[in-house]
Amino acid sequence: MDRSSNHPAYELLAAYSAGSLPLSQALCVSAHLEHCHSCTRQLQRLNRVGSELMQQLKPAKASNDLKNRLLDSLDSLTDEAPAEQPKRFDPSIPRCLHQFVDQGYAELPWKRVSTDIHSVELCRDNNGAKVELLKIRPGGSATTHTHLGDEYTVILEGSFSDESGLYKQGDFVVKDARDRHTPVATQDRECICLAVTEGPIQFTGFFSRLLNPLIRRGYA
Amino acid sequence: MTAMSNRQSSSEKLIALGACISRVAKERDKSAFAELFDHYAPQIRAYSLAREPGADLVADELVQEVMTRVWLKAEKYNASLANLNTWIFTLARNCRIDYLRRNGRYVSEIDPTDLFNDMEDEGPGPFQLAQQSRAEASIREGLRQLPREQSEVLTKVYLEGKSHQQASEELKLPLGTVKSRVRLALKKLEVLVER
Ligand SMILES: [Zn+2]
Repeated sequence: MDRSSNHPAYELLAAYSAGSLPLSQALCVSAHLEHCHSCTRQLQRLNRVGSELMQQLKPAKASNDLKNRLLDSLDSLTDEAPAEQPKRFDPSIPRCLHQFVDQGYAELPWKRVSTDIHSVELCRDNNGAKVELLKIRPGGSATTHTHLGDEYTVILEGSFSDESGLYKQGDFVVKDARDRHTPVATQDRECICLAVTEGPIQFTGFFSRLLNPLIRRGYA
Repeated sequence: MTAMSNRQSSSEKLIALGACISRVAKERDKSAFAELFDHYAPQIRAYSLAREPGADLVADELVQEVMTRVWLKAEKYNASLANLNTWIFTLARNCRIDYLRRNGRYVSEIDPTDLFNDMEDEGPGPFQLAQQSRAEASIREGLRQLPREQSEVLTKVYLEGKSHQQASEELKLPLGTVKSRVRLALKKLEVLVER
């Protein structure tokens, strides 16, 4: 089986390494990296490319004033380490998601979308992308659909399959507007995914087409 | 200067800078810190100016942020995980993202702090480490030999901080072409990991 389809594309990782990837997509890449040794190694090499590119720039002299101000400030610097005891996070939750999920997935305000699907919106990115978690009951499915924008999905728990194969924990899936697929969660347990949907609000997500009332009524 | 002696002097420089960072970490040595500043501040400013030409105050602020982190996090720097140049690059990148977000030009509800954990990544083994400096020299050579159209997209993405979409608009190229040029460049640089 071609495993390369379950990783972010090289150019996507490069944009992550460069810091030029929209943060919503960077969130997905980051969640994938915690599970993927080969992408982590790839990222280290891409960071080296960035470092070499930076070194090739013509240096822009820094003033002595800047240097002296900085040197004078060193003694008063303190790390912004949190004073309180760090919260204990569920180790199964990717670190990049701790800002949204601090007590485990079960504690989130899940909203019912259909008998098979629950969702919870985490936030919006500045490009309008919607960041949400989707929970599909064991064996649950979403009807065949096409999308209107790109969708990025990372499997956090459980697994699902569609026409292209089986996806399991950590897998990274991108679908564009041309893709048609019918994701089905495997029977053994529920499946939780991080899903990022690009584009205007009415463009719906991997499992979340059913969220959109217009589409649900068959207008789209 | 020949390419060979160039390479030698840059790796000697890196060893000297590595000694500075460990003096900062262990002895809180300000003169070692000043040496790091002299070497990296002009690079960091150039990196900032590549994105915002003429914005000298922004560039100074980035230097201040990055070098502050160098002072505070020197102890956490682990030479076996990333070479110093690469560590500085990742700090500069992270500080730039923070800066853009703080200053409203990057209004996102996502806090980037925990998105980039470069230093905590599992590092290369001893074998990979031996290859690391050779890899750097070959990336440097490779960048020199890259066709202009490919180095152009890398510059947009890495230095100017443009998304693929923005790069495609500025270069008047289809989005797919931008992506494939990035991929081709990486292939030429021989940095792609088999998977
Ligand atoms: Zn991967």
